[in-house]
Amino acid sequence: MSNQPLGKGAESVQSTATRVVIVDDHAIFRSGLKADLDPDILVVGEAGTVEEAVAVIAAARPDVVLLDVHLPGGLGGGGRDVLAGSAALLGITRFLALSVSDAAEDVVSVIRAGARGYVTKSISGAEISDAVRRVAGGDAVFSPRLAGFVLDAFGTAPADIADDELDRLSARELEVMRLIARGYSYKEVAKELFISIKTVETHVSAVLRKLQLSSRHELTRWAAERRLL
Amino acid sequence: MTTPAFRPPLVRSSDRLIAGVCAGLANHLGWPVRMVRIGMVVAALAGGAGVAFYAWLWIMVPTADESSKLSARQPASPIAPAVSAPPVGEPAAGGGAVGVGIGAPPGSWRTRFPGMPYGKEILLGAGLLLAAGILIARLVGLDVPLGTLIPVAAILGGAAIAWMQLDETRRAGLVDKTKADQAGGWARLAAGLALVVAGVLLMVSGSGSWEQTWLALLASVAVLGGVALVLLPWGLKFWRDLEAERTGRARATERAEIAAHLHDSVLQTLALIQRRAGNEHDVVRLARAQERELRGWLYRDPDRGAGQLSDRIKEAAAEVEDSLGHAVEVVTVGDCGMNERTEALVQAAREAMLNAARHGGGAVSVYLEVTDDAADAFVKDRGPGFDPGSIPPDRLGVRESIMGRMRRHGGTAAITSSPDGTEVRLRLPLTGAAAPQGAGNNGNGTYGADNNGEEPQ
Repeated sequence: MSNQPLGKGAESVQSTATRVVIVDDHAIFRSGLKADLDPDILVVGEAGTVEEAVAVIAAARPDVVLLDVHLPGGLGGGGRDVLAGSAALLGITRFLALSVSDAAEDVVSVIRAGARGYVTKSISGAEISDAVRRVAGGDAVFSPRLAGFVLDAFGTAPADIADDELDRLSARELEVMRLIARGYSYKEVAKELFISIKTVETHVSAVLRKLQLSSRHELTRWAAERRLL
Repeated sequence: MTTPAFRPPLVRSSDRLIAGVCAGLANHLGWPVRMVRIGMVVAALAGGAGVAFYAWLWIMVPTADESSKLSARQPASPIAPAVSAPPVGEPAAGGGAVGVGIGAPPGSWRTRFPGMPYGKEILLGAGLLLAAGILIARLVGLDVPLGTLIPVAAILGGAAIAWMQLDETRRAGLVDKTKADQAGGWARLAAGLALVVAGVLLMVSGSGSWEQTWLALLASVAVLGGVALVLLPWGLKFWRDLEAERTGRARATERAEIAAHLHDSVLQTLALIQRRAGNEHDVVRLARAQERELRGWLYRDPDRGAGQLSDRIKEAAAEVEDSLGHAVEVVTVGDCGMNERTEALVQAAREAMLNAARHGGGAVSVYLEVTDDAADAFVKDRGPGFDPGSIPPDRLGVRESIMGRMRRHGGTAAITSSPDGTEVRLRLPLTGAAAPQGAGNNGNGTYGADNNGEEPQ
């Protein structure tokens, strides 16, 4: 989604360049993306299939992997198979899913397999660079559509007890998700809710964790309906 | 997503000693091949059970080759289900290319018996179980009237095989040259069989007693049944080949349909884009419209009825995109049906999108959330912003089309604007039409519903 995420930008750049691996089966897209990325983002490897990706990621140990959801090879699961194959690296390397698809099953399946965020391929070079830095810094990247999916899956009624329940979103998390779904950047969300950007990021990361770990009935049913389980 | 442990499909391996059964089984179960082979040999020594099991798998399990042909139609990516499930209500657009020569629709065995995905296997398994039960009963010492059971079994087997044969020919449209309606065909078949049986009975009974007739009949049925049993493996093989071929044909039809769709939409658009390559605005507009159309086709949920509120909002966004060439991203959560009031919400949102696309910069974000109590729509742009209080009162767009319309239908509208962009918030209570007029602005709006304003032209 093209509005997302703006904001933090330069503050989160580490002293060294962010090292990324691009995994996409379209060479044209890979080279285009490479050209679009900001100069402080260093592409250290590329791959076009699941097997190549697992090998390249293990060899290069990048900070961030830009991972296409649909890939040939593996067990037919595309990006999910890459995540499964790189499970040992999940603590070091962070994955940002990238797709032309906006089908719920694609989005949620890679997130639940361990990706830290999801953006569509139509977003601009500056936006994707920012998303890469954000993911490299340990934060989650939510597009408006992903926020919409989350609201759809978790329901829009807040939990009574905040934060620690996996199956519900707290009132604050819901507010953050709603604003992101409305096209707000993290900075704008922070301003709207009178909280710091860091707090917004904490909320988003908490939602990501819930999305990955929750066994909430609605989420599993919702996933099953969409042939996810 | 919790991925279940992956288990390769059960196929006969090409790495084989006899027929690749053990290797395939080992691969499927994740056990060492050697162990499976030893187990099979031990079982074979134990009264021949292993041999029977081996033969059974040999017959029933397809080779890796056949299996890959079959499963090639199964989707490798989540996009594929949408593609491979041909839309039900749509005319077969690709009929001209392929799809001739398919008498019956490619609804296969499995789709015709949705609750019984492995009818063939279940039937055979049940038969074998029955046979085993009878054998055990005899061993235990029960007196099973084999003399009647065997002929009955033979008759049943023969009937099953005949039915199988008929079914397959009917579906493949091989013999079905004179195909009347299915019911008619079946009636004709039954009548013919009855006539033949009656004729045989008459002929035989003319020359001897009823008892002899029965015996002769039983004998011939038994012979026929035996022959059928002998031929069964070949029959099964033949049937499987046919099924594989039929799947291939269904795939070809799907391909043709996809090709037809791509031709009608994507190729046409690409041609247009090439001709208008000089006009960036047109190219973007065409690309967006085509993307939207293709997405709708690939990802639509066939179970959802059309004409819901979220569909209408998306339609409105598409109209705005088409007319102004400006990207409008729509995210919806929840949904409800349409009525006069929700239609008003759509119209107000549409007006807000038009304004945002006209005056705002960057993409326009639209968010619709429907809960039990209310429907909220948010339209946000990233334009330079404006002061809603400074709009001349004679501009009707915002004041009437958005604010007034929402108020008349018991909803509220609020506009927030800053140098970072403008957001229009629309709220329509869904329970009870007597909603407070002009009250509330979602808690955090900076301008109330009565700040009639319009963006500067």
